[in-house]
Amino acid sequence: MQIAELPVVGDATPRVRGNQHELLRFLVRRIASLLITMFLASVLVFWILNILPGKPAQVILGTQATPSSVAALTAKLGLNKPLVDQYAHWIYGLITLHLGNSYISSQPIAPVLGAALEVTGPLVLGGLLVGIIIAVPLGIASAVRHAKKSGVVLSGLAQIGIAVPNFVLGILLIIVFAVDLKLLPASGFTVWSTSITGALQSLILPAISLGLVEGAILARYFRTSVVEVLEADYLRTARAKGLRPNQALIRHGLRNASIPVLTVLGLELSGLIIGAVVIEAVFTLPGLGSLLLSSVANRDLITVQDIVMLVATTVLVVNLIVDILYRIIDPRMGLRS
Amino acid sequence: MTHSLRHLARLAALVTSATLMLAACGSSSTSTTSSTNKSTPLQTLTIGSSNVFPPTLNPTANASQAIDEVIDYNVLQHLVQLAPNGSIVPVLASSYTVSDANRVYTFTIRKGVKFSNGNPLTPADVVFSLKRVYAPGSTYPYGKIFDVSSVNQVGSDQVRVTLTTPSWNWLYDLATYSNGVILDPSTISTMATDPIGTGPFKVTGEVSNYSVTLARNSQYWGYKPHVSGVVFRYFSNADSLNAALQSGQVNMIDNLSAPSDATLFKSNPKFKVVSSLTNGKVQMTLNNTYGPLKNKLVRQAILFATDRKAIMDAASGGYGLIDGTDTVPADPYYLNLAHEYSYNVKTARKLMAKAGYAKGFNLQLVLPPYFYAKLAAPLIVSELGAIGIKVSVSTIDFPLWISQVFEGGNFQATIIDQAEGRDVSNYGTTGYYWHYAKTPEVASELTAANDAPTKAQWIAGYQKVLKQITSDAVNDWLYIAPFITVIDKNIVGIPTTAYTESYNLSYVGIGGSIPTSAQHLGYLS
Repeated sequence: MQIAELPVVGDATPRVRGNQHELLRFLVRRIASLLITMFLASVLVFWILNILPGKPAQVILGTQATPSSVAALTAKLGLNKPLVDQYAHWIYGLITLHLGNSYISSQPIAPVLGAALEVTGPLVLGGLLVGIIIAVPLGIASAVRHAKKSGVVLSGLAQIGIAVPNFVLGILLIIVFAVDLKLLPASGFTVWSTSITGALQSLILPAISLGLVEGAILARYFRTSVVEVLEADYLRTARAKGLRPNQALIRHGLRNASIPVLTVLGLELSGLIIGAVVIEAVFTLPGLGSLLLSSVANRDLITVQDIVMLVATTVLVVNLIVDILYRIIDPRMGLRS
Repeated sequence: MTHSLRHLARLAALVTSATLMLAACGSSSTSTTSSTNKSTPLQTLTIGSSNVFPPTLNPTANASQAIDEVIDYNVLQHLVQLAPNGSIVPVLASSYTVSDANRVYTFTIRKGVKFSNGNPLTPADVVFSLKRVYAPGSTYPYGKIFDVSSVNQVGSDQVRVTLTTPSWNWLYDLATYSNGVILDPSTISTMATDPIGTGPFKVTGEVSNYSVTLARNSQYWGYKPHVSGVVFRYFSNADSLNAALQSGQVNMIDNLSAPSDATLFKSNPKFKVVSSLTNGKVQMTLNNTYGPLKNKLVRQAILFATDRKAIMDAASGGYGLIDGTDTVPADPYYLNLAHEYSYNVKTARKLMAKAGYAKGFNLQLVLPPYFYAKLAAPLIVSELGAIGIKVSVSTIDFPLWISQVFEGGNFQATIIDQAEGRDVSNYGTTGYYWHYAKTPEVASELTAANDAPTKAQWIAGYQKVLKQITSDAVNDWLYIAPFITVIDKNIVGIPTTAYTESYNLSYVGIGGSIPTSAQHLGYLS
């Protein structure tokens, strides 16, 4: 016997057309606030870095340099100009998409940043992918069995995953898969242009180290979310109309369960980028983290400023996308908040 | 039901294919490893470096030792260079003469030398390079070989350098400091990424914060190293570097950042550990203008209270040498004054009482972020604690150390590796960061020594200064920093000392042997 499907959350088509203007206004408002945040971030980053002690010219030329050499280099780098002029010069460059030249190598920063992103981008995405691949089945399984022993065990596993720092996991993976089994490289990176498989191989262990911990965190959120959904009225209704529990969960429950997880995912992205800095050091990957650390150590302030702005912009934009996404997944949230 | 089953089947297929891919990756990696292990006539040497990645490849623009390690001697060469055995050997000069009491140096430029881009080396290139060091607005990193009044070409193949004042050190400085590199004037603008030189190697690739690749320079005029190229790979993490050597990803480690890690490799027959000394004097620098440290007796008490052997064991795994003053065995004026302040807590306490500090005082020890400093600090705290000095320790990053300690003199004590060679002249430099009260006297002693007509008198003058600063206990010289290289057993030709910032790879080879002359110069046979 066929039972007519009851409307469930997410099937709210009649509201959408009327909301187009609201969506536009929402976008304008959110983008304006994003630009203001970016401006404030740029001022803060520039100010903090420029009050850091350690003059770039002295750091570059070392402890044996003559004072006249240090003065000459300071002038050459433009660091004897007022801070406002230096900020204006930098920010104008960013707006016109000129990232400037490194203080240290006097080479353009953009290609160096690009090369670093070729490592960190896939690493973070890989970590995210590993995280999701682990979190979804683990979260669902532990939620479905939350009252049973096996569910408690799965939850415990996730808890252990959260407790293990990713760099410890990284070192363990190196010992097992690289030093003992010799299946994958212990560290390092084969650039994409040399060998795509080589590059992928270099990223497998780092992405797993990054993703396992992330997966464990997400699994806990997913579990809670699925448990809530399992107890919801509409799922009981779906089961009552003849769907098996798993069918009901997959067709009607997962979409709702994923909303809070999506929020966490957006926030976790910044965690993944920070995690990547550590993982890159463990696996000696030439990514954004390594570039950031060496630039700070060398007082290559302009490179640091560019990297921080890039990361800040990415996090802000991803959060904006998440905001938009969960309004699409769940139109009940409206566009005003 | 069928819908969700299809989902599950897809998921299973995805997992299976990912597993297969992993397995395939694994097997291909294994086969690559085994093929590279086969001995072929010319292989690439991969050096796992504990150094930082070179911030630029132009050694005339930045003082980072990481640049000199790769580029100096290997890519860019000098008129004369320092061999591992400490002798100064002619390189781009085929010969040289010294006249006018160490004031005038005449170099005959080697014939038939070409830069790696094919341009011939001319005396004009030499004049250009040496004048560039001391030209107005120069930003060369070391304040060395600036003391030149003129550089001129003489005849068709000679260059004459006249100094402002006579110097027994100038030739050494020219050989040792990367200020002395000879450049092709037409390639100055690209030196940051592609320095063009006359050395045995040329730069062929660079992955930022990861690796620098050198290939043999086909234009090279001298002995051809027995490798097709050299890759320097950088590791910020000592454990990762050790794992890379153990798993065969690199052929050697240039210098263990934690010397005690040598024990990991010593008993393994696959590897050889080569330990040598550097120019680095690891010292506790004392600010001679800070309160109690103004008093010579207090400084002497500190030197008696520090157990240098225990500190060297803790900070550098027992590698290094204790000589108790500002010199290393490669210096012509070398003196071992370790006996002056043999570890003696009783004497130290007596001196503290005599100085009026029987109850001790507080001392702030500020550290740069280096292994040796962090490992030495706890011992210093307990040893000075034994004579009543309550030491508090803080660690700061290196740029901040340069700004606060080195430039600002705003510190009480610090631990640092004074890495430059023959740098006793720092004790005669006005305003140098330890603020030694007798700086002017030392400066005139050093000037008199440099003016001395004979080498013996110069040496005697410098030794007098060493005795003076040691007697005044200006700083607490802990030990000479070691350089611990770990290599695959079949590697030959690496330098057996580390008295230059360059890591000279002119004779390096995987398998085979090196010429006897190179063995005499101090390259590993």
